[in-house]
Amino acid sequence: MIEVLNGGTRATVQDAGRPGYRHLGIPQSGAADKFCFALANWMAGNRWDAPAIECALGGLHLRFKEATTIALAGAEMWAQINGMNVKNFSAMPVEAGDILTLSFARDGCRAYIAIAGGLKIPEFMGSCSTYLPAEFGGYEGRALRTGDILTTSNRPREAPRKIPKGYAPQLSRHIVLRALPAPEWEMMSAASRRHLYVNPFIATPQTDRMGSRLRGNKIQTTATRSMTSSPLLPGTLQAPPDGQPILMLADGHCTGGYPRALQVIRADLWLLGQIAPGSQVSFRRGIAENAPKILASRNSFYGGLIDGFAF
Amino acid sequence: MSVKSPNIRPYGDSAVLIDYETPHYSDEIYNQLSHLAERLRQQDKWIEIVPSYKSLLVVFDVTQMSMKDACSVIEETLQSLANAPQRSGKIIEVPVVYGGEYGPDMDVIKKASGLSESEIIDKHSGQDYKVCMMGFIPGFCFLSEVPAILQHPRHDTPRAHVEAGSVGIAGWQTGIYGLGSPGGWQIIGRTPLTLFDPSREVPFLMEAGDTVRFIPSSKALF
Repeated sequence: MIEVLNGGTRATVQDAGRPGYRHLGIPQSGAADKFCFALANWMAGNRWDAPAIECALGGLHLRFKEATTIALAGAEMWAQINGMNVKNFSAMPVEAGDILTLSFARDGCRAYIAIAGGLKIPEFMGSCSTYLPAEFGGYEGRALRTGDILTTSNRPREAPRKIPKGYAPQLSRHIVLRALPAPEWEMMSAASRRHLYVNPFIATPQTDRMGSRLRGNKIQTTATRSMTSSPLLPGTLQAPPDGQPILMLADGHCTGGYPRALQVIRADLWLLGQIAPGSQVSFRRGIAENAPKILASRNSFYGGLIDGFAF
Repeated sequence: MSVKSPNIRPYGDSAVLIDYETPHYSDEIYNQLSHLAERLRQQDKWIEIVPSYKSLLVVFDVTQMSMKDACSVIEETLQSLANAPQRSGKIIEVPVVYGGEYGPDMDVIKKASGLSESEIIDKHSGQDYKVCMMGFIPGFCFLSEVPAILQHPRHDTPRAHVEAGSVGIAGWQTGIYGLGSPGGWQIIGRTPLTLFDPSREVPFLMEAGDTVRFIPSSKALF
């Protein structure tokens, strides 16, 4: 068992999510950065999609009730065990009574803590992922807070796995996303179409698992304000009339009524989870024919390491 | 029945959008889209099939299927559709408290339409609506066309929070927020009904194809 001493900014239980229900208005949710989540599980000796803790921005403190193995991946949060620094992107044994503390995210937004054997959490619609807006999934449908007790599977401890050199990603406060024009691209003014791919945006404090409101050069559109609501996906960039675009994330709305300017390619979707308030976000023009090739090469690189995982 | 054939085009690198060009709501288009969605669902090939008023988004696994193949399977399925069957769902009465603290944008609609509050209430509740699609969030119901005089664009900047049960207008659409959420619709009233409750045996109160009838009600409901 694990006791939550402090929930931090926002920590939730996530797994690979619940795809297939967007027509009911239920987004897939799941780890916002599926890649670092999968790495954490791999290091802890788990299936890549076992339920783990996602900590946004930092401040999470946990006490382990039994000896086990844990793994950390994602944003650098200066993790310590009993006050001693431990390395990010690594797995380590912990003893009964050990306290893990995370400080504040430096180079990304979300850190993942995987526990050998995974967390024992009841499924809702096929997934353990927390979806905060509707208060279901995960730990009682809410973020973790002081006093919560998480049940682990008590699997006998095994040796932590080490990520081979060159496999851990370099995160930063400047996120570059390859994107393709989305359905309403032609509604963007010529100037906006140009600068969307050139000028960086800044993620505002209105950044969470649903989406990130960006600030930067205004996006001008020819759209009327009465557009018919149409489907959206994680990685869709919407352009509302005030010109400040909204980038959709894992818990993002399933449909929306603002023009859709860009769609981030699948190989880069994991990076959305590392956008913190204040991060710089740039879009680069992707080439439609190349997107499947980029994805295939990333998948073949990591697929050999993490069984069953795909970007 | 003649419905113009839709645009079928890539949406990013792993989804296809089937899009009809129409400025207004059309029963025919909506029926054809829901029929297509149903047929695609039977194929067991797709990750997500998301119908909306005039478009359908199909997400596929690009590691298993190319964009080209996905588009042609959808094209073939569309060609093979016979006339869409008529759907007849249940009728759901939805009590609504219009205006005041429950409808913060009532004044916007009053100004734009030149109607009084009671005229707006009569118009909005004076017809039945079809549930065309379910939410951008769980439980949100997108309903068919509102009377022309009530039509009004969304807010330029979406509100940070709209209460659960809020009834709103966006262009020709009207709808009900199933959950508290950020949102840009013009809110004219609120219902005490819980449209989505994950702890209920049937979490959703309504589904696409049902008919909604708004019943103007008093504040005492809350």
